[in-house]
Formats: sequence, C-alpha cells, structure tokens
Amino acid sequence: MTDPMDVIKNAVIAGKHSDIKALVQKALEAGLDPNAIINDALIAAMDVVGKDFGSGKIFVPEMLVSAVTMKNGLELVKPLLVGDQAHSRGTVIMATVKGDLHDIGKNLVSMMLEGAGFKVIDLGVDLSVEKLLDKVEEIKPEILGLSALLTTTMPEMKRAIEVLEAKGIRENLKVMVGGAPVDRVFAEKIGADGYGANAVEAVQLARRFIGDKA
Amino acid sequence: MELKPDFNRFLAAVHHRETDRVPLGEVLIDYSIQGRFLGRDVGAEDWASQVEFWSKAGYDYLPVTVSMMSPGKVTEESKITRVLKERVLRERPGTTDPKAWNLEFTSFIHERPDLERFPWDAAADIDLSSLKAVGKLLPEGMKAIAVSGKIFTLTWMLMGFNNFALKLVLEESLVAEVFERVAAIQLKALERIFGMDHVAGVWAVDDLAFGTGPMISPVALRKHVFPWYKKVADLCHDQNRIFLMHSDGDIITLMEDLIALGVDVIQPIDPSCMDMAKVKRQYGHRICMVGNVSNELLRSGTTGEIAARVKALLRDVAPGGGFALGSGNSVPNWARFENYMAMRDTCLKHGTYPITI
Repeated sequence: MTDPMDVIKNAVIAGKHSDIKALVQKALEAGLDPNAIINDALIAAMDVVGKDFGSGKIFVPEMLVSAVTMKNGLELVKPLLVGDQAHSRGTVIMATVKGDLHDIGKNLVSMMLEGAGFKVIDLGVDLSVEKLLDKVEEIKPEILGLSALLTTTMPEMKRAIEVLEAKGIRENLKVMVGGAPVDRVFAEKIGADGYGANAVEAVQLARRFIGDKA
Repeated sequence: MELKPDFNRFLAAVHHRETDRVPLGEVLIDYSIQGRFLGRDVGAEDWASQVEFWSKAGYDYLPVTVSMMSPGKVTEESKITRVLKERVLRERPGTTDPKAWNLEFTSFIHERPDLERFPWDAAADIDLSSLKAVGKLLPEGMKAIAVSGKIFTLTWMLMGFNNFALKLVLEESLVAEVFERVAAIQLKALERIFGMDHVAGVWAVDDLAFGTGPMISPVALRKHVFPWYKKVADLCHDQNRIFLMHSDGDIITLMEDLIALGVDVIQPIDPSCMDMAKVKRQYGHRICMVGNVSNELLRSGTTGEIAARVKALLRDVAPGGGFALGSGNSVPNWARFENYMAMRDTCLKHGTYPITI
C-alpha cells in the first residue's frame, strides 16, 4: 500500500494543485498528524522542488505550480495545528529596494519561503529605507530580504542596513540580500548576514537563520 | 579621424568575414552619452543628432525602436502604455496613479475574458513615421535597424510574470493565444518595416533568461516562442534582411535553438554569466556575436580596465569575423562617459584586421 505521505509529497512535486486537498483530507481522515503532513510531506516536497529548480531540472512555472499546490494543502492543515505547532517558522519581510522596480526574483523567493513554512510579508518594489524601517519596527520580523536587479540601486541595501543599525533594531534581525548584480562579497561588505544566489539558496539561508537543521 | 559608416562592414562580420576593422555594435546608447559625444543635448525626437552621433562614433547603422513598447520609456510613455492608460481611464475615470497602467506595476490579461477585452487593434497601430523619416537623414553607407519584435517579454508583462508562469502550466492554451496575438502584431509591423529600403534588419530585444538560465523551460520556449522567432527570421531572410537578437541572462542552453531558427546575430552574451571567448569558440562559426564589455565595468571601472577588456575581446573573439564590439547590455546613462569612449577608442585603435594584439 502506498504511503499517504509519499502520495502528498509526490503530488506537490508534480504540481497536482487540484488533487492535493482531497489527498490531504484523506490523510487527515486516516489519522495522520497534521504537523507531520506539513513537515514531512508538504514542506519536504518543496525541498525536492527547490533542489530540482536549483539544478535546472525544472523552471519557474513548474516551481510556482508546486508552490501553489503546497499552499492549497497547507490551507487545509494549518487550522488544525494547536499550540506551538500553529506558529510559522518565522516572519520574513521581503522588498525590492528604492529605485528598482524588478520583482520576479523577489516574488520567487517569497513563494519559496512560504513553501518552506515561513510567514512572508512582501512589501513590493521601489521601497524607501524609511518605509522599510517603519515596517520592520511594526512587524518585528526575524528576517529581512532585500532584492536589487540594478547595480545603481545596490547602495540602497547598504543604506537600509546602516539605518537599521543606527536605530538599534539590527541585532535581532537577520538581513539577507539577493539579485542579479549582488554577490557574497558585496553582502559581506555592506554588513548583511547572508546572500542567496537564487530562491533555493535564500530558503536555505532563512532556515539557517532560525536554526533549522533541515 | 573621420569615420565613415559602411553597413557592408557590419554585414561582413555577420557573415564571418574580416574587413578593414571590427565593427562597433550596440542596440541602445543613452541620449546623455550621445549628447556628451556631440557636445550638445540629444533628445528622443532629434533624429538628425542621433544619426550624426551613430555615424561619427563609428557605427554602421542606426537602431530605431519601433514597436508597441516604443517610443520613449517602455512602460511609461510607449504605445502600449498609452493604449492601456486610455483603457484604464475609460473604465475607471479619474484614475491618476500611473501604476494603474504601467506594466512594471500591473498586468491586464489574467483570464480568458481579459484576452478578448484587450484593445488589440489599438495596440497594433504601430507608428513607423520615425523609422521612415530617418531614411532621408542617413549618410551614404549607413542603414537603419528596426528594434522590434518583443514577443516573450510583452506576453508575460501583459499577463504579469507569476500569472503567466502559472498559466503556462495550468492553462497553456490561454498563454499560447496571448503569444499568438502579440506575435501577429509584431509580424504585421515587420512587413511594413521591410517596405523601407534603408532598413537592413530587425533587432528583437526580448530577454529569455535569468543569470542562472532560461526563465521558462527550453521545451516551453520551443513550443510557444521560437516558432514565432522563426517566422521573423524567415521574413527577414526572404526580404534579404538580418535578424538580430538581444537577451540578458545565461542563454547557453538555447544557443542551438536560436541558431537553428535563423538568428544571425546574438547580443550581448551577458558577461555576468557567460564567457564570450568560450561561447565564440563553441558557436562562433554559426552565429555572429555582439558584446560584451560589462556594464558594471562601464560604470565603475577605470579607462585602463576598459581598454584591457576590449583588447582581450579583440584578441580572443574578433579573429575570423563574426564579432562586433560593444557593451554587455546597452550603454545606459549611468555608464561613465570616459569609459564608453575608452571602449570605443580602444576598438577603433586595436580592432584593425588582421588583429595583431
């Protein structure tokens, strides 16, 4: 007999978005633990999807459909979680910096982070440091993800980190940066906590930030 | 030294022949750079100055953007933006926020009814008057190249990238129809463009890849995008014109397809993720390459670094033809003018055939 967890996992990997709710429902009716369904099937599936994307086996459309499938499944299970289980892995604020309108990469990272169990607040594009600061103070996320596609807007990342430090709210906040012109050297130079070359690396980084060994 | 434009020089490079020197090649140079070169302001409608810049600077052609996404800034002033703005104001009078019609912020085709409601006829009414007018301004030997034929980018922009990507898997027929409508407009425009003798080719600026590889699978590109490119290529070749392509990102896995469908020139071989010398060795005998001095180097490098990079390209890539030297994307307003000049001057000084660097 096929393991229902494997069935759910494979459905997410294959992007069977319209089948997933029935499969999850069946697993719940069979008495499987909601938390296990999330971690060992839904999120585990997105790990595979992320790796397949990172290796060029699948592309953005296939990855997005898997993410949507995962979210459909998650919607059914999340209300059943109780106590500590109901909490997300952490909150991430995502934004493209001031002067930059590019958002494809940022949106991919956001979706993949959601797929990995994070609560993502996407503040959009062309975001000023001042607005960013307001939101960080208001939401108090564990992680801030900044994106830039233009070399001319990269200095805004540095400015954001400087302002966060000046305001004294940098200590409990991990900052990760990404985007086509950004690299590890730049990230270190501006004082970011990490750099993700793509959506998969960004998720791995976010997990490391919260001490997740997965 | 007075430079005389000669499109045959560029054509020789396209056909992998060495002539007097390595041609210079760009698809776009910001007006501020053109202005610095000429010592006076140059604007979008100042075609006489643009012709003067491109010929005096050493180029053999004048690129003229004519498409739904021109004239002016693509998502702020272009034809498609005006059409979308009119539609938004008709449906929601009093809207003042430009984000309501700017394709950088919004999209219009999400579901099938949106496809039918879209003002395709208005979008198809592409103004070719500028392209026609420059014919009278071009000096002897110089040609115009129509920068047109954006199919992939315009389709996903109209649909919004995430929605486009999802629909490509979940409702493929809708995506196919948007591609078809967009391509039909571009192809119809090309037929009119090629009625002008001074137009020597079409340059499709259509980014297909991220730095990590294609934006959608090569399979999907072969199914939905490349058949339209092939029609463009066939039309170009039937009319004795050349087909040039621009794409950012790592397109190495797409090179065989682009060559097979008939692309004559590929630009810029994105220096942030591809090695021009390696790509030239692998594909250079089958396709002409234009590029690829990094834009970041143009912004932050020294003139000495620029000269060294140009010399390396001339040494490694120019022998045998099939190469024109230019930037790694386009020359934007944030490139240092001195670096642009160093790129051009080094090519003119050391790019004489046979290359002896």
